[in-house]
Amino acid sequence: MTEAMLYLDHAADTPVRPEVIVAMTRLQEAGVGNASSVHGPGRAARGALEEARERVAGVLGAAPREIVFTSGGTEADNMAVLGRWRASRRGVVVSAVEHSAVRGPAAAAAREGAPLTILAVDESGRVDLGALDEALREEPGVVSVMWGNNETGTLQPVAEIGRRCAAAGAAFHTDAVQAVGHVPVRVDEARCSLLSLSAHKFGGPPGAGALFLRDGTEIEPLLSGGGQERGLRAGTSNVVAAAGLATALDLAVGQLETEAARLGTLRDRLQARLQAELPDLRVHGADADRLPHILNVGLDGVPADVLIASLDVAGLAVSSGAACHSGGGEPSHVLMAMGRFSDAVARFSLGWSTTEEDVDRGAALFLDVLDRARAAIA
Amino acid sequence: MSGRETVLVAMSGGVDSSVAAALLVEKGYRVIGATMKTFCYSETPANGRTCCGLDGIMDARRVADHLGIAHYVFDMEESFGRAVMDDFVAEYVAGRTPNPCVRCNSNTKIPDLLRRGRALGADRIATGHYARIRQVTGETAVLLRGVDDRKDQSYFLWGVPPEVLDHLVFPVGDLTKDEVRDRARALGLSTAEKPESQEICFVPTDDYTDFLSTRLGADHPALSPGRMVTAEGEHVGEHGGYARYTVGQRKGLGGGFGRRLYVLGVRPDRNEVVVGDPAGLARGEVTLGDLNWLAPSPAPGERLHVRLRHRAALVPAEVVERGGSELRLRFDSPQTAVTPGQSGAIYRGEALVGGGRIR
Repeated sequence: MTEAMLYLDHAADTPVRPEVIVAMTRLQEAGVGNASSVHGPGRAARGALEEARERVAGVLGAAPREIVFTSGGTEADNMAVLGRWRASRRGVVVSAVEHSAVRGPAAAAAREGAPLTILAVDESGRVDLGALDEALREEPGVVSVMWGNNETGTLQPVAEIGRRCAAAGAAFHTDAVQAVGHVPVRVDEARCSLLSLSAHKFGGPPGAGALFLRDGTEIEPLLSGGGQERGLRAGTSNVVAAAGLATALDLAVGQLETEAARLGTLRDRLQARLQAELPDLRVHGADADRLPHILNVGLDGVPADVLIASLDVAGLAVSSGAACHSGGGEPSHVLMAMGRFSDAVARFSLGWSTTEEDVDRGAALFLDVLDRARAAIA
Repeated sequence: MSGRETVLVAMSGGVDSSVAAALLVEKGYRVIGATMKTFCYSETPANGRTCCGLDGIMDARRVADHLGIAHYVFDMEESFGRAVMDDFVAEYVAGRTPNPCVRCNSNTKIPDLLRRGRALGADRIATGHYARIRQVTGETAVLLRGVDDRKDQSYFLWGVPPEVLDHLVFPVGDLTKDEVRDRARALGLSTAEKPESQEICFVPTDDYTDFLSTRLGADHPALSPGRMVTAEGEHVGEHGGYARYTVGQRKGLGGGFGRRLYVLGVRPDRNEVVVGDPAGLARGEVTLGDLNWLAPSPAPGERLHVRLRHRAALVPAEVVERGGSELRLRFDSPQTAVTPGQSGAIYRGEALVGGGRIR
């Protein structure tokens, strides 16, 4: 089964790029010390860590001291939302389509007494700016709206949200986990105070992420211990992971323009193939600007659990909603917020290793599976 | 990949279906495991481990991983709720004693599993039931009792749609329970020592009246006090709601009657429970409704066996009358376990012919 799997689930995890494996292996083999140590090996580790930090900062248009390395996107989101609430003791505002890595800490903040506002979205998943303005009047401590949605690919008007937050004096956090490496992400353009990214979404290793924290924005750290990451994130620095993240980010951003165009063309090709055969197909987020690598479709006439299993058996790896919830029968909160309902939903997501042949084969497999499943269940 | 036949096996997380999956893998089938989510998960807190289903899913997944097969969870809450749980409540309200496992196999588990199997490209489905399928080329398959007389579960299968027989596999039906446990241990399956599952999976407290009370409300007539009377109409006491009583029951009637009393019947329209001497339970005949046939249906005059309870002895009987929707059987000797709502499973030798609900 797995040996011939066609992988179109890059938004869940994309393969680590070979150059990244080489860079990480070299560093690991050279022997890394503890970046907090004062001796030679420690200095070498610190050097590698700070170089990685500079590279990440450079890509985002930030200062190196504004980059905090984390264990991944979830930790960065938690630091941003929960950390901002605890530092400000003012309200938390999140959109209705956030990833659970933001919904979770927002709910946790609410349990600690934070006033929580959830911003509605339109049919394409874009946040309601009128609702945002209203929420900003309450002077929240943090507003968290993702850059691009992990399920539908819908891009939020982050520049506009950032402008309004800045005018109101609210810290704007954006979860850019799916966006980084796929669309240009610059912190000044978004006017954000906080931004999360995750290495394994753009060809880096899992377990590595970063939080951009603008100078002057205060957060309460979640981990205490040693004074690593300027006291914001205690724990021995994972130098190899940080180097892997920076290498992958450089590669992804270096190829961004051509790669985004290539993936966008492939995504549109996939969408067109499916639409040609399935007139009842619902393409979610189609009316908005989308991340180039994500296609989310809804269908009736086949239960979600059957579709998930059938696709896996047929050797096509795609997701139903965010991969983190897959297997459960819970409906997607993103599509519910968009008011889009289907019996089953499939998310195709493409990546650096996806070819045109993959996309054609994926479309054919999907159509076959759907035909058989619909006939069996009807 | 290969021309191997694909089988979808229902894995509850128990030892029987675990071994069933393992045996199919041994035989060289391409095996896909599935656990059916049937109830209550969405109402149970995430950390609530009391619900048998959640544990079952994790146990099944562990076994599937161990066997190196895929495993999926199928959401059957809607059809299970409708076909099994709603029916369970309605039957008790009507004064009968339902058999949810029969309903589940007949209306949900087996037919839904086959539909899903076909969606996945599997033309065969398997379960861990102690029953056998005899397939002779060119003929329709026949469902036989399991070889382990103490474990035989064919009783629960009389209601399955006949057209599924050709697609069913019961890998443990040729084994005894002890042999199944031995195989599980030999294979290193984590479920080898798991105890037998409780009787009704959606009644975790083992007291079905808790479930009825949740569904109906504690003040529903079926659960409200009423008169306990003899067949002659003598008022001998009070009862706590007729749905709490089942024909043949002796426990829970209270004492002070000066003799042993049994429940002889339930009258929902008058909220009365009829009690009396055990002699009043004896029936010479049974009428079955909601008939289903898995083999040529019996004709008047045919002698066969009927089972009136799971694990009860096979009762020799003769077909007296065969209507379109009902079948009347005369026992060779009177029986005391003729409980309306329960199943009568009919056997011709080792073969399960079909059955019906006791009227």
